[in-house]
Amino acid sequence: MGGATLAEASVQVCGGVLGAPLLPGLIQAAKARLQGRRGPGPLQPYRELRRLWSKSTVEVEGATQVYRWAPATVAACMVAAVLLVPAAGVAPGWGVGHDAFALVGLLALARFAIAAAAWDTGNGFSLMGASRDLTISVFMEATLVLSLGVASLSAGTTDLRGVVAGTAGGGAWATPALALAALAFGIVVVAETGRQPVDNPDTHLELTMIHEGPLLEYAGRDQAYLQWAAAARHWIVLVIAAQVFLPHGRTVAVQLVALPAVLAVLAGALAVLETVVAKMRVLFVPRLLGVGSALALLGVAAWLAPR
Amino acid sequence: MIGALLLTGVALVGAGGLLCAARSSFRTGLSLEAAGAAAVAVAGFWALASGTSVGGTFTNHLTPRLGLDPLSGLFLGTLGLVGAPALCFARDYLRPTGKDRAVGSLTAGFLLAMVGVLCARDPATLLAGWELMTLLPAAVILVAHQEDRHARQSVFTYLAVTHLGGVGTWVAVLLLARAGAIGSPGVIHAGSGLQAVVVVAALVGLGTKAGVMPLHVWLPRAHPIAPAPVSALMSGVMIKIGIYLMVRVLVDWAGPLPVWLGILVLATGALSAVGGVTYALFEHDLKRLLAMHSIENIGIIVMGIGACVLLRNRGADGWAALALGAALLHTVNHAVFKSLLFLCAGAFERMAGRLDLDRLGGLLRRVPVVGGSFLVGSMAIAGLPPLNGFASEWLTLQALVHVPRYGRVADGLAGALALGALAATAALAAFCFVKVVGLVLLGSPRRDPPVDARQPSAGMAGAVAFLALACAALGVAPGVLLARLVGLAPWSAGLPVGMGLRLPGTGSLPSPAIAVLLIVLAGALVLLRGRGRAAAPAAPTWACGQVVSRRLEWTGAGFTKPLRLALEVVLRPQRDVVSRQEAGVLQEVGYQGQVPHLIEERVYAPTHRLAMAAATRLRRLQSGNLGTYVGYLMGVVLLLLVAARLGLV
Repeated sequence: MGGATLAEASVQVCGGVLGAPLLPGLIQAAKARLQGRRGPGPLQPYRELRRLWSKSTVEVEGATQVYRWAPATVAACMVAAVLLVPAAGVAPGWGVGHDAFALVGLLALARFAIAAAAWDTGNGFSLMGASRDLTISVFMEATLVLSLGVASLSAGTTDLRGVVAGTAGGGAWATPALALAALAFGIVVVAETGRQPVDNPDTHLELTMIHEGPLLEYAGRDQAYLQWAAAARHWIVLVIAAQVFLPHGRTVAVQLVALPAVLAVLAGALAVLETVVAKMRVLFVPRLLGVGSALALLGVAAWLAPR
Repeated sequence: MIGALLLTGVALVGAGGLLCAARSSFRTGLSLEAAGAAAVAVAGFWALASGTSVGGTFTNHLTPRLGLDPLSGLFLGTLGLVGAPALCFARDYLRPTGKDRAVGSLTAGFLLAMVGVLCARDPATLLAGWELMTLLPAAVILVAHQEDRHARQSVFTYLAVTHLGGVGTWVAVLLLARAGAIGSPGVIHAGSGLQAVVVVAALVGLGTKAGVMPLHVWLPRAHPIAPAPVSALMSGVMIKIGIYLMVRVLVDWAGPLPVWLGILVLATGALSAVGGVTYALFEHDLKRLLAMHSIENIGIIVMGIGACVLLRNRGADGWAALALGAALLHTVNHAVFKSLLFLCAGAFERMAGRLDLDRLGGLLRRVPVVGGSFLVGSMAIAGLPPLNGFASEWLTLQALVHVPRYGRVADGLAGALALGALAATAALAAFCFVKVVGLVLLGSPRRDPPVDARQPSAGMAGAVAFLALACAALGVAPGVLLARLVGLAPWSAGLPVGMGLRLPGTGSLPSPAIAVLLIVLAGALVLLRGRGRAAAPAAPTWACGQVVSRRLEWTGAGFTKPLRLALEVVLRPQRDVVSRQEAGVLQEVGYQGQVPHLIEERVYAPTHRLAMAAATRLRRLQSGNLGTYVGYLMGVVLLLLVAARLGLV
């Protein structure tokens, strides 16, 4: 294993597993500042996790093993996804490969597990959140696959390491294909991280929850797994946004050094977005994602046109 | 040796079918049929693995000839792999009553007809087997539902649609035979009119049998009313025979196809996939829902074939072979998980009496083995890692993304659209099966269990557990099978494939490692969860402080409502709210809603009305008066004489 691979491996694992909660923390802190509040510091998610870790879990009457296994399955999927998404153009194999479409499968498994748990408890708010999440996922998954498809067409492979390397520098931006796909992926980032205008992560009103809804029934370590998984989801999509859909350096060193700064900027951008945009009606979200799919299809057309 | 094994299997199935007819030897007969199916599976997979052909080769003459090559072997193997557990299940599911004995015997005939199509090497045997394969399940359904008028009507719809569409099969096969193209690709010129006619006729004829949209209307009617093991065989194997011939005709015999035909195939596949799963989502009956999912999965398979055709046209032979491999892998996978789901549905039906989704519930706890197998099958059909449905859908996605890579604008955009459609299909399938798992397996029973709730027998549980294990095995090591499937392409591809799917140009899907990682991690996290502070006593679910009662329970219609609203413009759902007031006070609210199938309402219903109107008009000719008929005959003879005199005949 070369030095570059070793450096990438440490960034990928430390950043994805340990540093991920910092991302939602940063967004919360920046949002509070923008709204003229003092708000919690960026380390607040860690304190939350510590608190949850020492609390007891709660069983729901009549629930099966599905309820017990769901948070662990969600967290396991996110660990696998963190290993799958490289932080730069090289990465050790980790045994799970680095395929873009395999990532889609892992995200789908996590969604399935938590929605099944919602059925298991029969909690109306959990089911409401799950059904909205799954409705959005139909359009989100199409947009995600199409935008990753454009990136992989530009790079000539669906191996994310190859995609990061293939879209590095200015060459990939010669046609508007990647830019269109980047717009589409931007919408996916908002939907997948559950940020406004798609979802409101700060809500305490059960009726408006999407991603938070299925978490209602959990406590203690179960809840800690789920909150960490939500943070890891931020890391996964933001790293792809930074290293594929934004201009990035050609060498691994530049990619790795610039990554924290770009991630911080992206977190800031999400905070700004949450401040200036109100949550949209849940039935408009499919239309927004439909626009994303159309943009990505235009990206494919732009990639095909010069041939 | 392979031939002898296959003949033994066929003989066992036939003998079993005969024994089924007698009350005393009913179960022995079904066991023999199952053993025969297992022998057929071994023979088929052996032929596939060793790449050998046995018996005759393809001929364009009408003299009967039988044989076996690796592609037939794959489908024979699948037939046996699904047939053996389905028949084991049937041993306890069917009872030696007169009706069920006839079902057992006819099932043997049904299996033999399918083996006949797969082993046919000449047009006559092929078409004979094809027709028998259509008629025998109709007979099974008619026998099983002798008194049910509705079922009879469904059977006649099935026969009418498959026979009208089946004309396409006859046209395609006979044209191929006349051109001498059966078994010899390259005889039909690429881009010729003959090729277009053959391919379109084949798409119509074989597509009807496979259940491709918009020729699918018979499928959700006929599959659910057959007895569970026969439903499993119909959805698992029979519709795949259409795929078998589609591969033969489109990929092999009719030669490399032009781009527009490839786009047509891809578009049909995408329409079936998205349409099938969308309507499945709004079904309330478990078996009808499963039947709609067959349409979706056939669509995914056809998309793989379409990608293969387009990639072959652009000279990307390696990926064309992989696209074909993806289609064939999904064929095997769908056969396994769909038959698993249908058999479980049969077991649930025996327990609960009916399969209305909103009235089941809590079955995972009551029947852990069957319920757990149903969960595995649901996750497999939803395309979730590390199960088999994900492996083949991943491979199909890869094949589709390679279509624009090698293509030009038209086929490239078609490939991209199909890529998006497949991604949406996978998400819709996951949505649908979360609903199914939730309503059937989880929570508490949505109504009191019937008094005579019987546990499924060990034989039934064993059959579904075997299929669940097959789902897991095919999901963990898809490469073992795929390496053989890629070799089935008529051109040499020579791609290295490992146990997982390590393919050039992709990030690889090392499925064994992903499976191990997910299971170990999730297991460790569940253990860690238990190591913390002692769990608080179990509490009722949170309902804003209300007492959780059955009236608060969610229904499938409620769960899918957001999507129904999002797709309102396309789906045009109907709803009917009736409220009853007494003295200004609301007493009762009734809700009825449904999502009508647009193709049936807009295409089939007007056609049906037109046909009936025409028939009513024509009926006036049938006066019943002998003199009138003699008049008709005279008229015809006169017309013929005049025509002969004028030199027209």
